[in-house]
Amino acid sequence: MSILKGIVGGILGYLLGAALVTSIRAATGAEPWDFEVATMGAYLPTVVGWLLGVGVWEYWARPWFGREAKPYTTVGWRRYFNFDTDHKVIGIQYLVSFLFLFFLAGLFAMVMRWELMNPGRDILTPSSYNGFMSLHGTMMVFVAVAAIVGAFGNYIVPIMIGADDMAFPKLNALSYWLVPVVVAFLTASFLVGGYDTGWTGYAPLSVTTRTGALFFNLAFLTLGLSSIVGAINFLTTVHKMRAPGMTWSRLPIFVWSIYVTSWLSLIFTQFIALAMLMVVFARTLGMAFFEAAAGGDPLLYQNVFWFYSHPAVYIMILPAFGVTLEILSHFSRKPLFAYKWAVGGMIGIAAMSAFVWAHHMFTSGMPDVLLKPFLASTELISIPTGLIMLSALGTIWQGRLRLHVPMLFALGVVFNFLFGGITGVFLADAPLDIQLHDTYFVVAHFHYVILGGGIFGLFAAVYYWFPKMTGRMMNETLGKVHFWWMIIGFNFTFMPMFWIGMNGMNRRISDYVPNLGGTNRMISLAGFFLGMSFVIFLWNYIYSWWRGADAPSNPWGATTLEWMTSSPPPLENFDVIPEVVGGPYTYGDKSAKHAILEPRL
Amino acid sequence: MTAVGHAAHGVHEAPAKRLGINRLGLWFFILSESILFVGLLMVRFSLLGTYIHEELSQLIGLMITVILLASSFTAYQAERSMARGDLGATKRNLLITLGLGTVFIAGVAFEWHEALEAFPPSTVFGSVFFTMTGVHVFHVLTGLVMLAIVHRRVRRHETTSTDSWPVEASVKYWHFVDVAWVFFYPALYLIS
Amino acid sequence: MGAERSDNRVDLIIVAVLWVALTGAGLWWATVTNLHPIGASSNAVISDEAFDLLLYLSMPVTTFVVVVLGYSVLRFRVSLDETEDAAPVRSNRLFIAMWVLITVGLSVYVIFNPGFTGLDALAADKNAEMTIEVTASQWRWDYRYVEENIEFLDADGLVLPVDTRILFKITSQDVIHSFWVPAFRVKKDAVPGLITEVYMTTTKLGDFAQDDGFRNQCAELCGTGHTRMRTTVTVLTRVDFIAWVDAQRNAEVSG
Ligand SMILES: [Cu+2]
Ligand SMILES: [Cu+2]
Repeated sequence: MSILKGIVGGILGYLLGAALVTSIRAATGAEPWDFEVATMGAYLPTVVGWLLGVGVWEYWARPWFGREAKPYTTVGWRRYFNFDTDHKVIGIQYLVSFLFLFFLAGLFAMVMRWELMNPGRDILTPSSYNGFMSLHGTMMVFVAVAAIVGAFGNYIVPIMIGADDMAFPKLNALSYWLVPVVVAFLTASFLVGGYDTGWTGYAPLSVTTRTGALFFNLAFLTLGLSSIVGAINFLTTVHKMRAPGMTWSRLPIFVWSIYVTSWLSLIFTQFIALAMLMVVFARTLGMAFFEAAAGGDPLLYQNVFWFYSHPAVYIMILPAFGVTLEILSHFSRKPLFAYKWAVGGMIGIAAMSAFVWAHHMFTSGMPDVLLKPFLASTELISIPTGLIMLSALGTIWQGRLRLHVPMLFALGVVFNFLFGGITGVFLADAPLDIQLHDTYFVVAHFHYVILGGGIFGLFAAVYYWFPKMTGRMMNETLGKVHFWWMIIGFNFTFMPMFWIGMNGMNRRISDYVPNLGGTNRMISLAGFFLGMSFVIFLWNYIYSWWRGADAPSNPWGATTLEWMTSSPPPLENFDVIPEVVGGPYTYGDKSAKHAILEPRL
Repeated sequence: MTAVGHAAHGVHEAPAKRLGINRLGLWFFILSESILFVGLLMVRFSLLGTYIHEELSQLIGLMITVILLASSFTAYQAERSMARGDLGATKRNLLITLGLGTVFIAGVAFEWHEALEAFPPSTVFGSVFFTMTGVHVFHVLTGLVMLAIVHRRVRRHETTSTDSWPVEASVKYWHFVDVAWVFFYPALYLIS
Repeated sequence: MGAERSDNRVDLIIVAVLWVALTGAGLWWATVTNLHPIGASSNAVISDEAFDLLLYLSMPVTTFVVVVLGYSVLRFRVSLDETEDAAPVRSNRLFIAMWVLITVGLSVYVIFNPGFTGLDALAADKNAEMTIEVTASQWRWDYRYVEENIEFLDADGLVLPVDTRILFKITSQDVIHSFWVPAFRVKKDAVPGLITEVYMTTTKLGDFAQDDGFRNQCAELCGTGHTRMRTTVTVLTRVDFIAWVDAQRNAEVSG
């Protein structure tokens, strides 16, 4: 129901905004109707209308005007389709939404690999290839940016720190309900014919190309808004909502990763908002930021864009590191090795991420004097990244490894990220990057980082926390099949891409020179194989949620707080407020305790 | 803005704790928003250096700046009177702030009208000018909406001095918008 | 405790042996395998040497992680229902110190070599014998030979003399494109309103029919025609090149 009201609100908002813009244009003597200008003007009313309709008005804003807020539904499946402020509901909303986006974007990848299976044209025109490629990239980036943070940051972080909810539950719901707007704009871009700029949306192409690009810009803008709101919430939550005794050095590493990530989102997301705004204004109002002929600077976009989008890589990967280290410790039954160094590594990565953006621009025509500083800063960022690896290896060394499915995925992250990280050192080397930039070497590199690291981390988290979130166990055997299928498919798909990249296959092309045909065919087949592994996952995920064995409160024997409450946890998470008395990883020390939960008097 | 803990679950933290949470959240929000303004300043200087279009009206620029600064003072007075429990003065000061903010927007609108001739958005200076002032005016507008809602609440005794967070929040936000202009004004009008 | 410690020593020795062996095998593979396509310019040497050096340097790092990871999984795994904890080792000063020292050392080293040395080598010689203006637009390449004063609009091919230092001056008329010749390891964006420059010396004869690395392929997404935005590249002997230039001039006169 509330979704319906939201849609009505959104449509009314759009009509209102478009009417306003059109009448202003009519009054100034311009051609009254212009789809893009009207849409630009209607953006804000549309989003506000949707939000008000979907629940902000009824549950939140009414008291501002002296009315009673509507009470929340607290039980039943309906609240998952409602404006609900329970962080656990929101976490599941995020998880399901972004898994859906992930599979959709994965299907687009299958379409692309089909086209690339043979030289020449198979099923797509160059233009529709560009459309699928752009949507695939955009949606996957959105998934990588928001899935772990939105799903597990929301669900798990408050429980891990012993809080009853996030600091701002209503803002939390708001940040989730912006996600359907993002999806709606992406769908709209598809309906008006797509866009062909890739997820990077470089100006001036994004200014002159077809209308779909406008919706891409608005979608990214909206996701940015959602990220910023979420970041404010996470930062405040971690600062203010920790249970008594939960000092900074007792925070589980996953909480640290979300905390550091939130700083990145808080600071850098504004730059993507700015980049998108400038392109929207250039498209609709004819602004000249990027127009060389008018004195603008075509490279300005890239600078602003990468000033966000490089840190965004860490927004994608840091939460996966957090999940990985968390799981490695619990399933090695050994305290996290070099905890402080790992935290320092995360902070170091975040701090340095502000100084490396132009490594995406070595061939762009940026001033030559800047090549060396950016080469140097980029190579140096492998030092804090190495600390994460140090912590991972030190943790499993001499551990007692129980290879449950989450553990397999966590080990997979370490393995895959190794190749993603090492090839990053190659790409950071400007003299070499001249050849590798914009080739499949880069495609392979960032898929190793984002899919091999980030998405493997996402699946590790799904398998690890599924019992907590649903109260049911996932099937272990199917999980193992999924893992081995996925990691084999993944490596066979992306390892050869390093080679074809070095051998002259550039990015974002629907056709290539004939002698790359053999390898491309092999990559496509491996890609389809990889794609099929998710069928196993989906079956396991849906069936287990529906019929899986009941999960005990602590199926893995793990030590952090979320395992000290029922599966799923009750409203407000704990019956009593936990008192934290020690570090989160108390393995190997019978006398050590992380927290005590004793009934309040 | 008027967050009262978990309206959903019916559990409330101690009001002092909630106030601390709200304040910190607001600071994070202001920090993030100020980055947007920093970004705009970076764009301005990277595209134009210190160039200023000569037809930019210095008089209006100075006037609206003075008006906005004055409104920050009245907003501050509103918060002070709220703390004293003087609802009458609070309402009066909020109303003056609202008026000054509206005048500011009118001033910008007038300037836009002139600017459309002198340096339209299709020029680089126009792009920078309209985007910077546009983003800022948008923040002024949201501030006005917040202040208007708060004024209504104070008038209807829905916000009282025991729960003055809405007043505090909207006034703090208003100060932020003013401070942002304090950086924009010289960057747009004075440096050259 | 004593037993555990000696266990650890055995583990360490095995890992060390595996590490050395795998690193050796990796380095051997790296030296006998040619991963690079044909390189036909002075810049290709710099690029390929950088790649090889980084490959050698990264080999021990990669094998170390792989060996520790693989060995730990095989050696330290226990059955799933096992509940006993491992010994709570939270830190190991020597290991951390070594790790930090080595990663800092390697990172700093690669900044200078192949990083700065490569950049300096690429920028060393700014005396070109020949200048070619490359203009990109949606979706075609235009080449203008400045000294020879001949021009090709919507060109099919780029013809160059061998053993010649060439300056490419690249620009665009609409969106951003990128001038890329894989065999030359040369890539530079074509940006509207900006003239970007690349210096390189041709070192090998060749053409597209013989090796598809001899092509100018647009490397920056520029819209629908991006995939097809390419021309062939041909490197001729200097004598043949002069003849080719003359032929073009005659064709121009008669045409
Ligand atoms: Cu980057
Ligand atoms: Cu192109």
